[in-house]
Amino acid sequence: MERSIENIWKEGFLKSDALIAPKINNLYSQKSIHIIDKFKRMFKINLIAIVAFSFAFLIVSFIVGIPITGIIFFVTLSVLVIINKKLLNDLNKIDLGVSSSQYLKTFNQWIQKQIAINKKISKFLYPIIFISMVLGFWFKDAEGMPLGERLVGEILVGFPDTYLIFGVPVIGIVIALAIIGLLVLFGGRIYKWDLNIVYGRVFKKLEELMTDIESLRS
Amino acid sequence: MSSDFYKTSILPFAGIIIKLCRAYTNSQEDFEDYYQEVCLQIWRSKDNFREESQWSTWVYRISLNVCLTLLKKKKNNVQHFVSDSITADETEDNYAFSDESLNLLYDAIRKLSEIDRAIIMLYLEEKSQKEIAEIIGTNPNNIGVRVKRIKMRLKKILDGKIN
Repeated sequence: MERSIENIWKEGFLKSDALIAPKINNLYSQKSIHIIDKFKRMFKINLIAIVAFSFAFLIVSFIVGIPITGIIFFVTLSVLVIINKKLLNDLNKIDLGVSSSQYLKTFNQWIQKQIAINKKISKFLYPIIFISMVLGFWFKDAEGMPLGERLVGEILVGFPDTYLIFGVPVIGIVIALAIIGLLVLFGGRIYKWDLNIVYGRVFKKLEELMTDIESLRS
Repeated sequence: MSSDFYKTSILPFAGIIIKLCRAYTNSQEDFEDYYQEVCLQIWRSKDNFREESQWSTWVYRISLNVCLTLLKKKKNNVQHFVSDSITADETEDNYAFSDESLNLLYDAIRKLSEIDRAIIMLYLEEKSQKEIAEIIGTNPNNIGVRVKRIKMRLKKILDGKIN
């Protein structure tokens, strides 16, 4: 007679070897392999790296004579760090002791929130970096006058008919605006593309789990 | 981790953790990693336990939630949830209980979706539909139907393999 799965389960675990707990050593000092802890570690490392870089760049920018770039970089990256620090605090609030549905939903909400926020930030971040570079070099001292003005002066010698708006060649403004437009357009996409390479499978799996649970709720 | 906490609050429920971790792993190495991680997360979350449920139910929730979202590097160095369904190459480093029928049952359970694995494990642990629904966070009315479907699927997988 065929045995039921209930019997196989009960009888199988009556044998002495079935439920031997593995030895655990120095558990607390071990690196967690859980996804939330990995996110926490990744966030912390990123934030520390951003803070270190923005400080270093600020100092370098003063040394090489582009303080405007350094200051804009520093302010922008500080805002980025503050926003992401808040996101990291939200991650710490996720409770593993709730139902799987609630836990997965909370975790997924956090992921969606951080993707949406960082996608928006990326749309502004890349253009701001570009603008800060342009401004930094434009106002960089070049033998007693800003580099930008010196450059425009040289262009006017070669092309006297160049049309200027507030002392800047129109063609230069058009090119800069085109670059800014492209960076706004692709900034968010670059972030999402980058994130999907690393965590694409994780996000897909999370979605599958949630769909499966949702099917049980309806 | 305090060894007292492990001995008094985790070890008495190690059976639950072992059974669950076995269902989501295919090798002894992964199983030990999962077991350690579950114990670590129980210890870390202990202050969040509010006695609204039994300690064993809470341990089950933590264990299940950890197993559902554990990341591990596979041989190709890419991060995955390793609770994916078993594949041919993964069976090579399979590990076994001394009870052959139990091994076959576990192999069959590992072929189910992650949520179905959780449901059938809770059912086999004689949890009521209400308790299963509470742990998973779903409608208790649908659990009975799902359990029937899972049992049919397991019978199909095990067909003729167990006498």
